[in-house]
Amino acid sequence: MAAKELDTTKNAVPFDRANIPGPKMAKAVKAEVAGKFISKAKRPLLIVGTAAGDDGVIEIVRSMAGKGIPVAATGSSLKRLKEEGIDATYVNLHALVSYLKDPDWNGFDGKGGYDTTIFLGHTYYYASQLMSTLKNFTKIKIISIDRHYHPNAQQSFGNLKPEDFIKALDVVVAQL
Amino acid sequence: MVIKKGKFTIDGLENVQININKVTSSDEEKEEPQGPTPAPEIHKLRDWDMRLLKRYQPVYSPICDMCCYCTYGKCDLTGNKEGACGINMEAQQAREAMLRTLTGAAAHAGHGRHLLNHLIKRFGADYPIDVGPSNIKAPLTQTIMGIEPETIGDFVPVLDYVEEQITQLLATTHIGQEGSAIDFESKALHAGMVDHLGMEVSDIIQISCLDMPKSQADAPLADIGMGLIDSSKPVLVCIGHNVAAVTYIMDYMEEHDLFDKIELVGICCTAHDMTRVNPKAKIVGSLSKQLKYIRSGIPDLIIVDEQCIRADMMQETSKLHIPVIATNDKVMYGLPDRSNDDIDDIISDLASGDQPGVVMFDYEKVGELAPKLVMKMAPIRKEEGITALPSDDEFKKLASSCTQCGACVISCPQGLEIDIAMEAAAGGDLTLFEELHDKCIGCGRCEFECPKDIPILNVIEKAAQKVIREEKGKVRTGRGQVGDPEIREEGVNLVLGTTPGIVAIIGCPNYPDGSRDVYEIAEEMLQRSYIVVTSGCSAMDIGMFKDDEGKTLYERYGGGFLKGNLLNTGSCVSNAHITATTIKVAAIFARRDISGNFEEIADYVMNRIGAVGLAWGGFTQKALSIGTGCNRLGIPVVLGPHGPKYRRAYLGKPYDKDKWNLLDARDGSVHNVEPAPEHLLISAENKAELMPLLAKLCFRPGDNNLGRMIKLTHYIELSEKYLGVLPDDWHIYVRSEADLPLAKREELLKILEEEHGWKIDWDKKKILEGPARKVDVSFQPTNVPRLCKGAVE
Repeated sequence: MAAKELDTTKNAVPFDRANIPGPKMAKAVKAEVAGKFISKAKRPLLIVGTAAGDDGVIEIVRSMAGKGIPVAATGSSLKRLKEEGIDATYVNLHALVSYLKDPDWNGFDGKGGYDTTIFLGHTYYYASQLMSTLKNFTKIKIISIDRHYHPNAQQSFGNLKPEDFIKALDVVVAQL
Repeated sequence: MVIKKGKFTIDGLENVQININKVTSSDEEKEEPQGPTPAPEIHKLRDWDMRLLKRYQPVYSPICDMCCYCTYGKCDLTGNKEGACGINMEAQQAREAMLRTLTGAAAHAGHGRHLLNHLIKRFGADYPIDVGPSNIKAPLTQTIMGIEPETIGDFVPVLDYVEEQITQLLATTHIGQEGSAIDFESKALHAGMVDHLGMEVSDIIQISCLDMPKSQADAPLADIGMGLIDSSKPVLVCIGHNVAAVTYIMDYMEEHDLFDKIELVGICCTAHDMTRVNPKAKIVGSLSKQLKYIRSGIPDLIIVDEQCIRADMMQETSKLHIPVIATNDKVMYGLPDRSNDDIDDIISDLASGDQPGVVMFDYEKVGELAPKLVMKMAPIRKEEGITALPSDDEFKKLASSCTQCGACVISCPQGLEIDIAMEAAAGGDLTLFEELHDKCIGCGRCEFECPKDIPILNVIEKAAQKVIREEKGKVRTGRGQVGDPEIREEGVNLVLGTTPGIVAIIGCPNYPDGSRDVYEIAEEMLQRSYIVVTSGCSAMDIGMFKDDEGKTLYERYGGGFLKGNLLNTGSCVSNAHITATTIKVAAIFARRDISGNFEEIADYVMNRIGAVGLAWGGFTQKALSIGTGCNRLGIPVVLGPHGPKYRRAYLGKPYDKDKWNLLDARDGSVHNVEPAPEHLLISAENKAELMPLLAKLCFRPGDNNLGRMIKLTHYIELSEKYLGVLPDDWHIYVRSEADLPLAKREELLKILEEEHGWKIDWDKKKILEGPARKVDVSFQPTNVPRLCKGAVE
């Protein structure tokens, strides 16, 4: 029997059932599309939460950092990232979204703001609320490659099983 | 003759009645000068708000992108669009946050008004205020209103003011009025300030009249935990925040020697105040225990008052034949008012189940009715064997019927993996449910989504019975205010920074990872000699855990206002004493005039006193109003990861140097300083991220070298411990080598030289160039130009 094709667009309902923000909600995308979307970004920023340190996910962070995408380590993710030798900058996620909406912020490298934010490894409801700041008050593109559907992103996976999640992340990295 | 307030008639003169509204003192000399803003209207402190909001800019995180306030709508405001009335997303979010703050303020003020009316009726308006050994009896009242109350009746105009402000603020939420986000924020800060005023009134009057501990560092310990409640006795449970009616029950029980015959227990802040009145009462736990405890079937009678009581109380209790007595008109559940009926008739109707509950406003009757009824109900209910928890066989069937569809997980506010725990339980492994029990906030939302109709909360509680039996803790009963003598002793350490800071752990139990977090946070900060102040549900949860020797933090640490002490001020309304403490430091240590002088005091607090609030599990509107009131007084607050659902934070930008200019009050000169405190209202994702943030938010521009060194030591250590790194901004808090932690001085000097380009004299171990500013021990930091010498008013 042929292996079942991975479809990350299924089950695209908010992981927190009542988290229906309004008329504009994320488009559920396939992993290839997400990867291509990220690869087209001129100034991407990978924003990782504490769960980015989980086995399976940390390898993806390493791969994306290896492709030259700067990593913002939020929550307590930095400890594991440092242990794994991944270069990242600690920043509080709440503070980060306020910096991102500031046109005068020069980014972590002093070269200006970012055009695309990529969310991975976050506490669901926390990231969802802070994506809504970016969604409503900036022109920055927001893509969630987390395990659960994020309505406040522009593009997101649907809710995925753990094993499909890692497979999807591998597909994303392959596109970079 | 002693003239008192009130009304009296003169013998022999018919139809003549003299009303004396206020008796003023002839001893005017003792009164301090009145400041510029006694009883400020909404706009009077706007300049101060704008100073705060210029540096700490509001950041909005909409939870709903639409506005549905009026019939123009719904309006889609996504992307900061305007709605039909012209309001944009930013202003709408500011309005929403202001409205929530106002709701919290109204809840506390409504509580205060109810208590004040009740206590004046019971004790008289001339009943004196007694908060303990303090000359400054009501710091918030004095600072905001410009008056020094002596009797409980003196608080009547204070609540009049609070209620007027709430009405005026609420009016601004109507369509077609305020359209400026920043002005809505100023109004929110005003609402937060009046909230603290209302809380102060509420707690001072009950401390005074109900003989609660008065600035008592060694207030008695009370029992807390479901495991400590003797369910073989009749169990009378009181839920809510307003202890007025319950005091009559306690009086009756004392008079009739019933405390060893009835378990009198409480949930949420009423429980705190019960133990402050009589420590024989026990605490079941915080708000998250409410539905869990009802479902246990143990309560034989429930008394409710106001705030934080489940809306589905009657649906839950009527199934379990637990009568409910509602004692406050804010919560009546559609029940009949039996205030004028005979007690025996009421008992008969409730015991038979003819009525599921009653409203009762006659508290004398409540005092007699409740003990009699609970003793009647207990044998009836025991005979019926009523509990919502499943039997062992039912439990196995329920766990096995779960299909792991995940609907419960998606509906859980915490996203708890109930489905996986259910699968393990079906296989006989209860450990996942035992762990999940502490993280479960007991909301019951999961049950509405389960396609198999599994009573999930009951399953969790059944599975966790072993853990629940061990829930046995201690809470130091609420001590009330910090007394003036304590401020005299500790104020200098606090302002100079040798006590690294005050961490106020307040608010509700919507914790991201269970209640153990607040215990561990408190323990870490106590070990580091911070003063940890707590109140409300957080104060309860801190007392639920023990060390290896079986001692709670309340048993291990003193309850005075000293470094490394743990103070429980009391219930929600006792939060006022936390902000009031900072005012007392300004008044006693710095000799600032506080009457009607809010701006100057807030300016002092923000620049000098390293205090930070933490509402780690805040979820109610009251938690937001408490936090916002702290913010107006210059005290930063951290929220847990649910915090952004409040829609707004106040965040600083450390890279924007122009935002960190301060004046020196000695000459009005401008100084660019380090970002301290860096934020006014911010959230953290988890405990590990929180810990160094708490330490960082205790930095103040007024720190001396020793104080800064101590604070920097903790900031660095906590960052290394929890985040695994030296914080990347530690150097901006260094003004000279004397600020550096002793144990790391050489190592840090090297980093300053190599990574930040600072010039170091290695022979003298001295910093020659690099810091943004030098230390000046006489620096008088202020954000307010009029406070500078020579300023023109």
